[in-house]
Amino acid sequence: MTTMEPSAGPNMRVYISVWLGMLLIVAIEAALAYAHVSGGVLVTALLVLAFLEAAIALRYFMHLKYEVPMLFWTLIPGLLLAFFMMNQFWADSSRLNALRFPVP
Amino acid sequence: MSDSAMTVNAMHGSAMEPSPFLISSKKLTMWLFIVADAATFGGLLFAYGFLRFGSASWTRPFSFSPNILNGLVMTVILLTSSLTMLGGVAAAHDGRRSATMKWLGATVVLGVLFAILHLREWTAMFHEGWSLTANPMGGTVLFGALFFSITGLHLLHVISGVVAISVIALGFRSGRLSAGHVETTGLYWHFVDLVWMFVFPLLYLLNLH
Repeated sequence: MTTMEPSAGPNMRVYISVWLGMLLIVAIEAALAYAHVSGGVLVTALLVLAFLEAAIALRYFMHLKYEVPMLFWTLIPGLLLAFFMMNQFWADSSRLNALRFPVP
Repeated sequence: MSDSAMTVNAMHGSAMEPSPFLISSKKLTMWLFIVADAATFGGLLFAYGFLRFGSASWTRPFSFSPNILNGLVMTVILLTSSLTMLGGVAAAHDGRRSATMKWLGATVVLGVLFAILHLREWTAMFHEGWSLTANPMGGTVLFGALFFSITGLHLLHVISGVVAISVIALGFRSGRLSAGHVETTGLYWHFVDLVWMFVFPLLYLLNLH
């Protein structure tokens, strides 16, 4: 028989380690913002770090790691697909910029 | 057996079927809300990217102090509130009511602190002349419109979360609500934290002058 008891999650020591790890990622993000890197590299790096933080929060803080895998496969791929599909708009954004009259 | 009796049996059968996700219906409902809300914030952040990338010039008004420093403090506060919320959920599952109240109380205090710091930042920006439709630095007004819209929606989530945690904590203390309610509210609070992990780098760190 299946039960709906909460799955056994990690203890506070694990949570504190994850919390410290996330603080470290925030510190890296802030340091990157002051590093002399190009805009494209900075946006890419910040997005990668933000998605890494989101994945950690989902797995440990929101307990997705300790739920049945079907919950993950039902919720997350569809959401990521929606985000992926939104990327279709960038070409139009670029076109808008190209259509402007040059600044005198 | 009559058709109506068969229909009733079929309905009871489906109602008794265990969840394929092995979680309570309220927790599943919260997950579905979170996915929908994530799409909302995702759409807003994509709109910000679209307008920024499509603008010939963009105002970058932020400096380390006070903006980035304030944003960093707010980030640490929100991350810490997720940790205290986890403590509250763990204590609630162990049946430790007093400890649950302390952890949830700490979460509420940190949430209020986050909101106060945010509103203080907003007030300072309003005094400088920023608004949804004004840019005191003379460039496009899009920065103010997007900044206040996105951070405003997030702040609304924080304030809603503070109210929800307070209500759930009081209900748990009186015995009306269960540890499952605390856990479900915790899911929402972690999501609010998760959204900020995108808002802070994209709206603050990318707008350093």
